[in-house]
Formats: sequence, C-alpha cells, structure tokens
Amino acid sequence: MADEAGIFEQLKQAVMDGDEDAAVAAANAAVAAGMDPQKAIMEGLAAGMAEMGRLYEAEECYVPELMVSSEALYAGLGVLQPLVAASGATDARGVAVIGAVQGDIHDIGKNLVKLMLEVNGIRVVDLGRDVDMETFVEACKEAGADLLCLSALMTTTIIAIKDYLPDFKAKLPNTKIMIGGAPLNQHLADEWGADGYGENAMEAARVAVRLLAAE
Amino acid sequence: MNSQERWDALIAHEPTDRVPCLQFMLGHTAVVNGKPIAKIYDDAAESLACQKNAQALYGHDGLIMHGWANAGGAEFGGDIEFPYRKYTGAPLMKKNPVQSEEDAWNLAVPDDILSVGTMPISLEISRLQYEMGMTVTVQVGSPLTWAGSICGEERLMIWVMRKPDLVHHVLRVVTDFIKKKADHWIDTFGAERLMAFDLCIETNKLYSPKHFEAFGFPYLREVHDHMTRQGTSIFLSHICGEQNKNLPLWSELSYGKRGMVSVGKEVSITKARELFPDLIVMGNVDPVTVQEGTPEQVRALCKECIEDGKDHPGGYALMTGCEVPPQAPPVNVDQMVKACREFGQY
Repeated sequence: MADEAGIFEQLKQAVMDGDEDAAVAAANAAVAAGMDPQKAIMEGLAAGMAEMGRLYEAEECYVPELMVSSEALYAGLGVLQPLVAASGATDARGVAVIGAVQGDIHDIGKNLVKLMLEVNGIRVVDLGRDVDMETFVEACKEAGADLLCLSALMTTTIIAIKDYLPDFKAKLPNTKIMIGGAPLNQHLADEWGADGYGENAMEAARVAVRLLAAE
Repeated sequence: MNSQERWDALIAHEPTDRVPCLQFMLGHTAVVNGKPIAKIYDDAAESLACQKNAQALYGHDGLIMHGWANAGGAEFGGDIEFPYRKYTGAPLMKKNPVQSEEDAWNLAVPDDILSVGTMPISLEISRLQYEMGMTVTVQVGSPLTWAGSICGEERLMIWVMRKPDLVHHVLRVVTDFIKKKADHWIDTFGAERLMAFDLCIETNKLYSPKHFEAFGFPYLREVHDHMTRQGTSIFLSHICGEQNKNLPLWSELSYGKRGMVSVGKEVSITKARELFPDLIVMGNVDPVTVQEGTPEQVRALCKECIEDGKDHPGGYALMTGCEVPPQAPPVNVDQMVKACREFGQY
C-alpha cells in the first residue's frame, strides 16, 4: 500500500530543498501509487511552498531560496497538473489575472504572488510585465476573472493604478481588485478603492483567499 | 550662505548655517522644466540644464548627476528603453544582455568602454560638469545591482543558489568594467574633482545578509578601495530600501576623503548615525509621501528627519529616501528646503 504521507513529505521536502529532480520523482511516485493528483499538489508541493513562505516571513530564508523552491514546485506541477486537468476538476478557489502594470518591468514580486496564489489553489493568468492597462480588462473578461492583481514597484507606475482603478471597477463589477508593490500600502489601497492589498506575496495570497471566499 | 557655500562647507566638514537639502532629483527636474523625462537620461546638455534650473527653482544645495538604479545592462549589449512612454520614469531594460549560462560565461569587458550603452552620455555630462567648475559625478555600481540588470534579477538569484561560480564570474567582469570606467574618469577629470556614487538595490527584502556578504560586499569594497586609494574626493552610497542587516558591512567600506550615505525610510537616521559616525548621513523622507501626501505631511516628515539628523558629527543633509518621484507635486517638493530653513538652523 502506498505510503501517502511519505510521498506528501517527499514532495514537500523537494520543494523546500529546491530539488527539481526529487520533485519530479516524488510526483511520479504519487502517480504510480494512484494518489489523487490534486491532493498530492496541495498536501505535498503546495505545503512545501507554504512552509518556505513562512520561513521568508520569519526572515529565515530570502528570495533566492524561494526562487529555487518555485522551480521545484513547477517541476512537480508539470507532472501532476495535467492529471488534474484531465480529471475535469474545476478551479478550486477561483481565477486570478495578474500583471505588472504599464511601464513597470519589475516582476519578481508579481511572480512570487502568482506562485503563492497557485499554491493556494487559485488558477492564475499571468500577463507578464509592462502590461498596457487596457489589456487587463480584456484578459479579465476572457478568463472570467474573480480577482485582478496589479503590481507596481515604482512611484511612476503606481500612478497608473491610481488612474485606472475607477475604470477597472466600472468595467469589471464582478472582479475583486488587489494591488501590491513596494511603494504601496494599505492606506493607498483604501484611498484608491482597491479591494485588497498585501505587503508581501504570502499576505497577498491570504487576502486573495479571503476575498474569494467572501464571494 | 548660498547653496554652493553650504555644499562646500558640508564637504569640507565645516559648519553650515543650516541643514543642507540635497536632492536625488532626476526625472522630476524634467517635469518642472516642461521637458520629457527621458531627456534627463539621453541628452547630456538638457539633463544638466534641467537639473540646474530645478535647483534654482527649489533652492536645494545639490546633487546634479547622471545615473539610475538598473544601470549596467546597456553597457554589455542589453536593449534599453528611455522613458518616453507614459508612466515610465527611468530607463528600462527591455532585454537583458545575458539570457543563458553560456551568455554569462562569455561576458567580457568591452574593448572600448567609452562607446558602449549610455557611456557617451555619462561622459558628456561629466565633461560639462567639469567645464562649469562643478563636482564631476560618476556612477560606479553597485556591481551586484548591475549584474542584476545584465542577467535579469530573477535569473541572477537562481544562479546565486545553483551556480555561485557563474555569479562570481559575472561580478568579476562587471567590477573590472567599473574600475576601468573609474580609471578613465580619474585620468580625465582628476580624482579631486570627482564624486563617485553607487546605487545599490540589493535589499534584505530580496537577498539575505549572507548573500550580500558573499556577492555584494567584496565587489563593493574593491571598487571603493580602487577609487579612494587614487584620491577620489567624495564617495556617495545610496543604500536603497531595507538593508538594515547589510549595514554593518556597508560601514566597513572605505569612503575616502569625504563619504556620504543616503538611506531610505527603512533605515532609521539614528542607526545610520551610529554606523557611519564620520560620514555625511542623508535622508530619509519617504518619496511616496512626497508624491501622494499633503504638503503638511511632507513638512512633518522633514521636521522629524531634521531633528534626528541635524547634530550628526559627520554631517547631515535632508534628502528623500530614494529619487524624488518625477510626478511629485511641486508644492510638496518645495516643503523640503522650507523645512531646512524652518527647523534646521544651527
């Protein structure tokens, strides 16, 4: 009988070690054991990334460690996610569109938010960086987005968020809008009418889960 | 004192009449001159004129320079976009010159460093500064920040974990480029006329102090030593963002005859004073408040900073914690010199 707990632990540890080969091996072991792929993702891979997030917030690891952990996570997802899709499972928590706004090419923070949203069972459509503001609306409508996440890391690009938020809220009445990035804070998020803000990727994911649960 | 006298006294470590106001102000100077922000970066004469005019307008006591945080990539063949588009405020790396491990291993210092990337513009600004009798500024890093511009920050961070030797190779090449650049500026303008500066974004929100110790500090030290040994008059480090855990190492760097450190809101002026007792400490008004706040909020922040810093034995100047936002309301920026006059008298 497959040691389900043992395979979960292998998946989790592979992510924490940033070991892509071990993540793929453990994912294949989960498949061979006939485990539920979604469960393997959430209780193995995602659990590992969640622990890395906790360590980051405790300042016991930093972004380079998160980056290599994410490589291992995505390697494992490469094995398991197609099986989830094939099973017809729907988006567990919702769909999010994310991007760094027009003029902003900084995307490390955005990529970490994307990662943590996926770890929390949210499907993410990533528009990348330096995204024309009009593109966000089109992408949200096409994806049926429950959540739009706007990232900006410069004082010039946060102005794009301030300028476009009212327009986005009018055009996307069923989409919650979150903002994030170093120059931003809860006060500006509230003042500009955003539905949520996260100081870091882990907090952003927690806020996103709360916003989607409230729908 | 007029601005020049105040600057000269600050640099000479002599008393000033009041706390100086120094501004890391680039794109904003174009805005108040009614010019495109990009002119600050791609047109030497226009850049100098905008910065001088803005200084006359606001009454601050310096700085006039040419540089930006994500520099270095264009000098090694990357695609750079100057900020002509709406919402852009500084040059952007559209494509990093290093896209693979092979690219990184093949990275080399160009034969003619003066013709690559934005070097011609930087050199022209320095030449104009020299001819006008001004302090001649030269950006010399940081090597790790430049390496991020060359390789892409995310790619570099993964290599920090998986391919440290490769990162050291890139840093070696970058540092050699910077030292070659420094040598040319010293030979051309004289070390006595120079203010070297490094803009360093290797914050502890990204890198651990151990990463900084391994990949940041050794190369910073090499550049600082190289320039200060040759008599560079002033060395300014902009220690951007949350770098509290890096500060002890920053304090070990050589700053030559007159050192200056600027810190953001994440580093208290009190802590900066403790760690840099002999250096000019500059900061740390929150730029976001300057852009999004009220004049009253800016004035209050300035008052706090001045009270924390004005009696620093090494010298203190009021400054924003990072670049003055290009689109900051002038009525807010204006509060800074006013605050120095109101709260900073000696």
